[in-house]
Amino acid sequence: MSVRVVVRTVSELCITVGTLIVLFVVYVLFWTGVKADSAMDRQIDQLQEQWSKGSVLSPAASPPLSPGSGQTQSPSSGQSETPVAAPEPPAPYTYDKPFAVMYIPRLGFTWNKPLLEGTGTDVLKKGLGHYRGTAQLGQPGNFAVAGHRRTYGDPFKDFPELREGDAVVLTDGTTWFTYRIDKGPYKTVPSDIEVIDPVPRKSGYTRPGRYLTLTTCDPEWGHSHRLIVWAHLDSTQPVEAGKPTALRR
Amino acid sequence: MYGWIWRHLPGNAWVRALVALVLALATVYVLFQYVFPWAEPLLPFNDVTVDNQ
Repeated sequence: MSVRVVVRTVSELCITVGTLIVLFVVYVLFWTGVKADSAMDRQIDQLQEQWSKGSVLSPAASPPLSPGSGQTQSPSSGQSETPVAAPEPPAPYTYDKPFAVMYIPRLGFTWNKPLLEGTGTDVLKKGLGHYRGTAQLGQPGNFAVAGHRRTYGDPFKDFPELREGDAVVLTDGTTWFTYRIDKGPYKTVPSDIEVIDPVPRKSGYTRPGRYLTLTTCDPEWGHSHRLIVWAHLDSTQPVEAGKPTALRR
Repeated sequence: MYGWIWRHLPGNAWVRALVALVLALATVYVLFQYVFPWAEPLLPFNDVTVDNQ
């Protein structure tokens, strides 16, 4: 075999590997976003259809907000309801199925993502994931949600921008739930599972309440740490009452 | 490698160019549809949970 053939073959291999790497970068940076955006739209369409048919998973009664459920802040401007008898707990969510839509005005006025049950790799390709075994939406305990920081539509790209007092609004088709962030991005290690405890101590919460935890990865493209945000349920209102003030402009 | 492929394609230069283009597109499709979705979870961008469920 002549030197010419060897040199040519090695060069061709190098060009091929280079092209592969470029294509893979295009796939990760661009194509996963395209796929995720269409998948998320499909999930939201599915939810809207489900809600318009009236077959909502959770009962129509909106969970009442007991005073002091969310740390020490008083509920805002008379939006919350007076406590009534304990509502029926909603039906358990189905793995890999959407059950709510989340809005975070701080991440963009049009930012809204479907929320699916489970935090498996496949689930998080289609939206945000609800940790199995944590509290249900608006229920006492800790409603914990994970989302991609980068790739698959970059849902939590601007996670570090979240600040105390920011609203995290969710709807399950019957009720609007407005959570308020109490503790801004908190950096921890992946094994720190206490952050999604029913009463996450590191957030400063000491009493049982209706909490929300968001988790994503940190640094942006890495996996050495996690960023955490905690919120408490501030107010609820039925969808018939219109969008909560946090979503109005 | 590419020279070998080129020599084994049928037809004249135009037909060969067309077949080569189709082969290249098919390769990209297979990569995006099957190979990259398999390889991507091996990278750390999917680790966003605290308990690695």
